[in-house]
Amino acid sequence: MSLLSLLIFLPLAAGLLILVLPYAWQQRYKYVALAAVGIQVIMSAFIYLNFDGNAFSGIDAKSKYQLVEQVSWINLQLGRLGSLQIDYFLGIDGLSMPFLVLSSVVMFIAVLSSWEIKTNLKGYFALLMLLNTAIMGVFCALDFFLFYIFYELMLLPLYFLIGMWGGARREYAAIKFFLYTLFGSVFMLLVIIGLYFSVQDPITGNHTFNMLHMMNPDNYIPGSIFSALAEQQIFGIPARLLGFIVLFIAFAIKVPIVPLHTWLPDAHVEAPTPVSIILAGILLKIGGYGILRICMSIFPDAAIDSAWWLGLIGVVSIIYGALNALAQNDLKRMIAYSSVSHMGFVLLGIASITAEGISGAMLQMISHGFLSTMLFFLVGVIYNRVHSRYIHDFRGLALIMPKYTTFIMIAFFASLGLPGFSAFIAEAFSLIGAFTSESVNGLLPRWMAICGSIGILLSAAYLLWTLQRMFFGKTRLMGGEDWKSKLTDVNGREIFVLTSLTVFALLLGILPSLAFDKMNASVLELIRLVNLK
Amino acid sequence: METLTQGNLSLLAALTALLPLITFLGITLIPGKQGRGAYFSIFNISVSLLLSAFLFFKIWNRNIVHEQLSWFTIGGTEFTAGILLNNLSVLMLVLVSLISLLVHIYSTMYMLGDPYLHRYWAYLGLFCFAMLGLVIIDNLLIVYMFWELVGFSSYLLIGFWFTKEAATQASKKAFIVNRLGDLGFLTGIMIVFSTFRTLDINLLFGEEGLVAQTVGSGIAPGAWLTIAGLAFFLAATAKSAQFPLHTWLPDAMEGPTSVSSLIHAATMVAAGVFLLARIYPIFDPTVLVVIASIGAFTAFMAATIALTQNDIKRILAFSTISQLGFMMIAMGVGAYGAGIFHLVTHAFFKCLLFLAAGAVIHEMAHFRAKTEADFDHQDIRNMGGLRKAMPLTFITMILASLALSGIPFTSGFLSKDAILIQSFEWADSQGGWVKLIPYSALLTSLLTAFYIFRLIFKTFFGEFRLKGQFSDKVIIHEAPAAMKYVMVVLAVFCLFLGFSFHPLSYEGSWILQGLPQQAIKHASVFDYHTFIPVIVNVLAILMIALAYKWYVKSKQAPDLSSNPVFLFLNRQWFFDDIYQRLFVNGTTKLASRAFLFDKKVVDGLVNLIANIGIVLSKISDWLDRYVVDGLIHAVASMAKTIGNFARNFQTGRLQHYLLTMVLVVLCFFIIKLFFPAI
Repeated sequence: MSLLSLLIFLPLAAGLLILVLPYAWQQRYKYVALAAVGIQVIMSAFIYLNFDGNAFSGIDAKSKYQLVEQVSWINLQLGRLGSLQIDYFLGIDGLSMPFLVLSSVVMFIAVLSSWEIKTNLKGYFALLMLLNTAIMGVFCALDFFLFYIFYELMLLPLYFLIGMWGGARREYAAIKFFLYTLFGSVFMLLVIIGLYFSVQDPITGNHTFNMLHMMNPDNYIPGSIFSALAEQQIFGIPARLLGFIVLFIAFAIKVPIVPLHTWLPDAHVEAPTPVSIILAGILLKIGGYGILRICMSIFPDAAIDSAWWLGLIGVVSIIYGALNALAQNDLKRMIAYSSVSHMGFVLLGIASITAEGISGAMLQMISHGFLSTMLFFLVGVIYNRVHSRYIHDFRGLALIMPKYTTFIMIAFFASLGLPGFSAFIAEAFSLIGAFTSESVNGLLPRWMAICGSIGILLSAAYLLWTLQRMFFGKTRLMGGEDWKSKLTDVNGREIFVLTSLTVFALLLGILPSLAFDKMNASVLELIRLVNLK
Repeated sequence: METLTQGNLSLLAALTALLPLITFLGITLIPGKQGRGAYFSIFNISVSLLLSAFLFFKIWNRNIVHEQLSWFTIGGTEFTAGILLNNLSVLMLVLVSLISLLVHIYSTMYMLGDPYLHRYWAYLGLFCFAMLGLVIIDNLLIVYMFWELVGFSSYLLIGFWFTKEAATQASKKAFIVNRLGDLGFLTGIMIVFSTFRTLDINLLFGEEGLVAQTVGSGIAPGAWLTIAGLAFFLAATAKSAQFPLHTWLPDAMEGPTSVSSLIHAATMVAAGVFLLARIYPIFDPTVLVVIASIGAFTAFMAATIALTQNDIKRILAFSTISQLGFMMIAMGVGAYGAGIFHLVTHAFFKCLLFLAAGAVIHEMAHFRAKTEADFDHQDIRNMGGLRKAMPLTFITMILASLALSGIPFTSGFLSKDAILIQSFEWADSQGGWVKLIPYSALLTSLLTAFYIFRLIFKTFFGEFRLKGQFSDKVIIHEAPAAMKYVMVVLAVFCLFLGFSFHPLSYEGSWILQGLPQQAIKHASVFDYHTFIPVIVNVLAILMIALAYKWYVKSKQAPDLSSNPVFLFLNRQWFFDDIYQRLFVNGTTKLASRAFLFDKKVVDGLVNLIANIGIVLSKISDWLDRYVVDGLIHAVASMAKTIGNFARNFQTGRLQHYLLTMVLVVLCFFIIKLFFPAI
């Protein structure tokens, strides 16, 4: 069993262990979970350190993936239809490796913030570990069928985690989240099947779910539905464009884009803190990752045709999300909308199909992963103490919670793109990429980048306004003296989490080469592939 | 001396900038008692000053030092980070570290007893780091980083007294307005990068740089380069508080006065001018005219506002805006050197004005605390006669005011004349409406003399206006030694000697000789070099005399408070109100509309689809229950009915069976009879 399989199935084993441990030990479940994710963090750090960005550019060549595992998994002879070939096929390149590190760190912090969960611990931690397995699987899978299994497997634990441990409207939020995401992935399945019948393994001649084969136009059976040469149409729309759109919508719901974003504020607000952290820190990135790994790589021609629209959606998300964030009274909801805005930069960067734009988008995903984790963790701290998140309920918190205020300021300024933190480099390069696109490949007009930069201004507005309203001024709390005694400053565990996230954001902001060096070759490879059509 | 290679010099420069960062990190990361860090930060900034001075003597008028390291690579483009030291940057290094050191020393007394003093030192350290970094770095992207970091530390320092509502509002406003300017900076960077594929300042804006080549060759992507120039200028307008983004600076006076002096008068606000100087080749004539006109307009507008203000710090704030306008004019008319020269002289005299005002405020605040009275201790209408109690403050402030008004033998005379004369010469070469620019600058410099002496006369002359109320407790005296001597040092720099040996001719100034000169060869009929200084000074002295007559002699200046012009000026040309209505309220309204739209329309649609789904499922449930299932039930019950009916025959009696049989056979024959075909 190789490293990637271990990374994927270790949490599953931990989850099973938790299931069989007696109830009397339920206070110790969290340590089992923590140990599992702790080992994951160490493994992903090891993977990161040993990853050679230049050698493993990945994308469409199996030889350029690191830690490849390919085992035949399901192999059915279907008579006239040939044989059904599904591989257990894992591997990482510069696009997926950073997400392994991100996911393991975010998971670690999610477990640390699970200290606040008090009910039904067995179920909670078992589901959390199952979710962990699914997430790691998604980022490693190179077989589309395997990818889909992991992708759908994420939904189940999340549904229960929101629906059972969430806030007042948890059931509404859980079912909304579930149906929304399912809506996207059901149609994705149709495209997967279509691709399966269009592509054949160049060696065995069988149909295949291998994503890398799907990226090579030579592997398409002439006349098949998704063959670029056949120019098939479905409902009067070119089939490849339709396939791209369907896959894009499936992933875009996860990102999320405006107008497919309304599950996010509800799910984030109702979910318990650790689940909000996972949602914002990892789940949204699966959308962006999917667009890069699958939409762009398998349907590069359609990606170029739709780049303008993708860019437009990105800009609209940036500004619309920021405006909505400005209008919120609930701190958590505000952060949820700010996620919509920040993920808009990802889409804008990707749409530019330039090295600057895609690298910026990748870094923005990683940076947002750390920063949104930090923000939701911080909201959790205050919610846990007094069970309110309304901005109006607090004033002058800086006087009674100075350390907490320091961390909130770090998180706020980092997310509004203060130089020195990762979000700055990420947003700057997403925009620079979008701007240079016109002179490099002519895909995006320059006004998109300029409009997108307005989002940077608006993010300063809503974050600073919140800061001023909640933390500065004379202390005045909704709950009076009672709250004042409950609102103790951050404790050791919280300081540990917040400090380590700050360090990540600072490191990436000052030395972006830590991320760029690992992904640059893959980004270039992706651009080469897309421009090849 | 050969041991000092370029690399070593740039290491020293990096160390100069990093020392204040060490202050910041040391104070924030190492816990200790509140109020710690004073000696630590003063020590670090002193070393920075020594290093800057050393670098200055090594580099001024000698070779340019340029060293760089690879930072990161994206695609095929390598981004470098490096240090670029030329005359401009070493001059700024010395200026910033010198004034910072003085303000640090001043603050030890001014901020004494503040419970969060250690934060103050940390923030000052962060600011100095950002500012020093800004002037030495060679990559536009990193300049932008420091540029924002400067804004961030200014945010922290304006809002230093975070329990004060006005202070937190002001800090937020300052940051957001500066952010707006930053968008300009970013746009500029995007244009430059997409045109030239590099952000190295030396490569771009050096003497044989890409920009110079492009502009010279005439094949430039002209329009975009003009837009880039305007975008960079937008950034400068925000940081240097120029129209239309000037409104944050007066509000920023909510911060401690020492901060106002260092950041919002001497150094940070000058960063805009510095930026223009650093990337000067990018500005084409169109942009330069825009810069000059905005500068002239801002200078005039701010001066008129300063005439009507009563808060001592606000007057000085508007004066700063106005003087920055002068620097912009200089930049616009091509008098690059004069602009920087004025930046330097202004830094000293404006810093001094603020520190002296700080000393006054300090004493007034003590006085207020002692008497427990309620009055505005920054309002010059509550002051008066302070020259007897605070003679040294008075003298230094007079010197600074003379420099600000541009009276001979001061540093301000030299730099202001340089700007005025060169702008007249430039206007002659241009013609058209731009000729208004130098005249408006001239007018502004007269207003300057009036408003600053109004401040002086109201503060230091006459009788103390609150004396009547608290006659027994008037105990205002000179500021503590640390503050006093700092002011004396600054006062020395207000004299001409630091800048030129000739008191009346700016051309001999060493700063101007080290910087690029205006290219225009004047062939004017006027000899501006004689006319302008004479006219300016005669008129300025008349203005001072008028102020003296109004505010000292007659004790009662003409009351203009009902005059609409006065109201217009006093309310700062209504810019704040307009911006509040148009942009702030507009944005919040747009935001709440967007949220309403999100809730009602976008989410409404989702819920509608969900509800349609539910209704459809209800309908199909009904159909299933009553139609599909109904049919099955019907079939079932029919079978049952038939069965029941048939059951009736199963009576068990033989005669019934016989009868049935007979009936069946009978039926058979009847049918056979009528339908023989069967």
